[in-house]
Amino acid sequence: MKLDNVFKKRKIEQEELGSEQAASEGPKIPAGLLKKCNHCKAAIIAEDVKRDYYVCPKCGEYFHVPARVRLAMTVDEGTFEEWDPVMEPVNPMEYKGYPEKVAALQEKTGLNEAVITGKGSIDGQKTAIGICDGRFLMASMGYNVGEKITRMVERASEERLPVIIFCCSGGARMQEGIVSLMQMAKTSAALKRHSDAGLLYISVLTDPTTGGVTASFAMLGDIILAEPKALIGFAGPRVIEQTMKQKLPKGFQRSEFLLEHGFVDEIVERPKMKEALASYLRMHSEEARQKETIIDINAAPVQEKMCEERKLSAWDRVLLSRQNDRPVGTDYIELLFTDFRELHGDRQFGDDGAIVGGVAMFHGRPVTVIVQEKGKTTKENIARGFGMPKPEGYRKALRLMKQAEKFHRPVFCIVDTPGAFCGMEAEERGQGEAIARNLWELSSLKVPVLTVVTGEGGSGGALALAVADEVWMLENATYSILSPEGFASILWKDAKKADEAAKAMKLTAGDVLKSGVIERVIPEPEELTRETLSEVTMIMEPAMEAFMQRYENMSEEELVNHRYSRFRGM
Amino acid sequence: MKKILIANRGEIAVRIIRACREMGIRTVAVFSEADRNALHAELADEAICIGPAPSDKSYLDMESILSAAFVSGADAIHPGFGFLSENSRFVSLCEQCNITFIGPPAEIIDRLGDKQAARNTMMAAGVPVIPGTRQAILDTKTGAEEAAKIGYPVMIKAALGGGGKGMRSAFGPEEFEHQFLTAQREALKAFGDGTMYIEKLIQKPRHIEVQILADKYGNVVHLGERDCSIQRNHQKLIEESPGVGISDELRTKMGETAVRAARAAGYVNAGTIEFLLDKSGEFYFMEMNTRIQVEHPVTEWVTGVDLVKEQIRVAAGEKLAFSQEDILIKGHAIECRINAENPDKGFMPCPGTITALHLPGGKGIRIDSAMYSGCEIPPYYDSMIAKLIVWGKTRDEAIRKMKSALDEVIIEGVCTNVDYQYDILDHPDFAAGKTDIEFIERFSREEQ
Repeated sequence: MKLDNVFKKRKIEQEELGSEQAASEGPKIPAGLLKKCNHCKAAIIAEDVKRDYYVCPKCGEYFHVPARVRLAMTVDEGTFEEWDPVMEPVNPMEYKGYPEKVAALQEKTGLNEAVITGKGSIDGQKTAIGICDGRFLMASMGYNVGEKITRMVERASEERLPVIIFCCSGGARMQEGIVSLMQMAKTSAALKRHSDAGLLYISVLTDPTTGGVTASFAMLGDIILAEPKALIGFAGPRVIEQTMKQKLPKGFQRSEFLLEHGFVDEIVERPKMKEALASYLRMHSEEARQKETIIDINAAPVQEKMCEERKLSAWDRVLLSRQNDRPVGTDYIELLFTDFRELHGDRQFGDDGAIVGGVAMFHGRPVTVIVQEKGKTTKENIARGFGMPKPEGYRKALRLMKQAEKFHRPVFCIVDTPGAFCGMEAEERGQGEAIARNLWELSSLKVPVLTVVTGEGGSGGALALAVADEVWMLENATYSILSPEGFASILWKDAKKADEAAKAMKLTAGDVLKSGVIERVIPEPEELTRETLSEVTMIMEPAMEAFMQRYENMSEEELVNHRYSRFRGM
Repeated sequence: MKKILIANRGEIAVRIIRACREMGIRTVAVFSEADRNALHAELADEAICIGPAPSDKSYLDMESILSAAFVSGADAIHPGFGFLSENSRFVSLCEQCNITFIGPPAEIIDRLGDKQAARNTMMAAGVPVIPGTRQAILDTKTGAEEAAKIGYPVMIKAALGGGGKGMRSAFGPEEFEHQFLTAQREALKAFGDGTMYIEKLIQKPRHIEVQILADKYGNVVHLGERDCSIQRNHQKLIEESPGVGISDELRTKMGETAVRAARAAGYVNAGTIEFLLDKSGEFYFMEMNTRIQVEHPVTEWVTGVDLVKEQIRVAAGEKLAFSQEDILIKGHAIECRINAENPDKGFMPCPGTITALHLPGGKGIRIDSAMYSGCEIPPYYDSMIAKLIVWGKTRDEAIRKMKSALDEVIIEGVCTNVDYQYDILDHPDFAAGKTDIEFIERFSREEQ
């Protein structure tokens, strides 16, 4: 049965009802109570939007945030001290109507210019902070915006404060012509000096960040964060579409696209932004770096069973090192470090899943961690390229090593790779060059570097993370010039003789230790899985602490010479 | 009040629309995309779609409902039960939009919704409450000390709890810590808050609630009690009025206490005060429900008062047309909730299409339902599809009538609990009035 106008609904006369309601004028929605989301078109309660970080409660779309609101979301209450609140308006080209437009916007937004700058605390961490406001001529960068940012950066360098800039901009300010263009150079130059002084700059990209701002301060962060789905690009999508006469794909130039292409370290949801910034500031603070260690490395002498005790053939060990349920790189991060924050991308081409790197804390001190990651499930294996890094993976690792050097953090690497990725695209992007560059740079990196081979130590793909002060291996890890299969096939023209090859290659931890290429073998439990991994990390942790204490106090020169001589003798 | 929007669905929406029609008030139904062909949408004078099937995108979407009220020019909203009926934020939005909310004002909902605040209000008004902690308990140690003071057995309850979540009993100090931590963990998971209270566990009590009506001029009357002890996992199954073995004296005492409670809260409109009644005849305030309830028809039948119409009249500013002396309890009414669920599969909801339908009728039989032959029971909402209410001169006659009526119910296309309900009514303990809130637990064990 379908109900469609089946009921008669004849009108029944209304009974007497309260006089109070007689004067009712019907429903009235007060102005400002409801808003409409431009994305999902739904009606939303305005105060909900304000309460929930300017995010649509219905569809999760991000709305633009006025600079003062952003400031309140980010900086601890009562800690903000504004710098250069009033700037004299300029009109270098004497562009008609420009001063009037600026005056009108000042009136409307209550802002003096498109950026506010100053100093404040984020969860107790002092920082200089600049926040762009898109309501002011699309936060385009004219003289005053460039000048305020430059002054802020200079003052931060002087006061040895980190800098955070929430970017958002349509680009250069057309009304100021060539003067506007020069702001790109001016701000970049100030940030270079800031960086050369060993100071941190975090740039946060919000919707939209385009043009001359992208091509200057927005892309120069030591750490680049982005809000989800923000439009970020140099040329705007409309300009590209018109020039190229083609339709751009969905998601083009959005934060996620930039992350995939290696230009963004991390996408952070707005409600978690303050927490993320605080955590980065904490890991880069001088106090964190100079923290005295209180761990007694001699506290727990661990019984180490050497590998010879177990009668396993070299080939058995090769198979064990490749076993499916063997712990992967990120498992070690989870057990050995705290506060890990993954930093993505090589800032050139892409973000390689086979390498996971970032900053973390080890016994209260900030460190850089870089691991080769195979993934745990088939789906993850594919996303991680089965632990075979591409050139962009090595370039990401290098970027993070250089970052560690700048901030004086030790570097811990985990090697577990069948070898560098082998394929056309890897050659096109210079796989050989990428590996070579890592060897060259690592050889003189001015911070301690420790590498642990936990599974397969496959050739140059492994070495690119292993030009270290010390290299350790797990009992059943392997480290070799080539896979046994490859070795057998090249020398004996028969890949099936891999087991024989394994023996001949002297690739087990015990063999490699004897050859003097590594310093230490870490024993494994009977069956090494994620469940038993803590038995290994319990040995690694104090040993790593001892490593830190051995190398931490070496001068940069001593350190580099030590590493040089380590390889010079091989 | 000329036009009322009903912010609900199913049988309660139909029930309210009928009351409005009888009063000559125009009605606006709101419906989700899954309820396009629902009876309430067809029966109302106007119907407005307010969003997709999931209730958080339709029947709980305050903005859509307010927009619908605005577009249709409704001057009042009846929230029914569930959904937004006890949402003080929605009530205050209605107030801001010059829409009369048919129910109590926002601040009263807030006052009674906060369990500890409600308890304090009641204690101040001399309404008996279950002995227990006044302060929030966050750790086991303090909890165990408090429990010892109160005396075992005790009930551990989440401050923000409901529906049995974050609730555990402890019969002695040896099991206190385990039970406390389990309850707290559950509470943290369900409500994001681990604040707990501890109170005396009343063993095998009955759930007796008193219906009250209050107008805006301070007149409060009670309409007798309902016995809702037949509950499965805190979901009521059968309700009756009056309660078995409740003497006129006890009724008067509980009723007067309920009126005092309502006055203490400054209550306006229809509301229910829930009590636990123990074997010795002592009763304790549990909570106040600030809405019309599912089981309101049993009260309507024994008192002759149309509660929904009274809600509308009170909201329109009318004075109550009767006083306490006018309320006389006559006969006995029982309600069975008929749910689309499968008792053989752990009462799993059973949505689907009603392919054939026959519902009982005759003297002393009332059906409140939004079902019709061919209608869809969507999977998104509560599984209650009908309420069967009977009236008899005595409880015995009412039980016979209910059993006879249940046998006449034919609902094809979905599984229902009709036979399960019959078995409860057929149980000698039910017939003898030996019921308490653990009845169903015992009954289920016997069934197995």
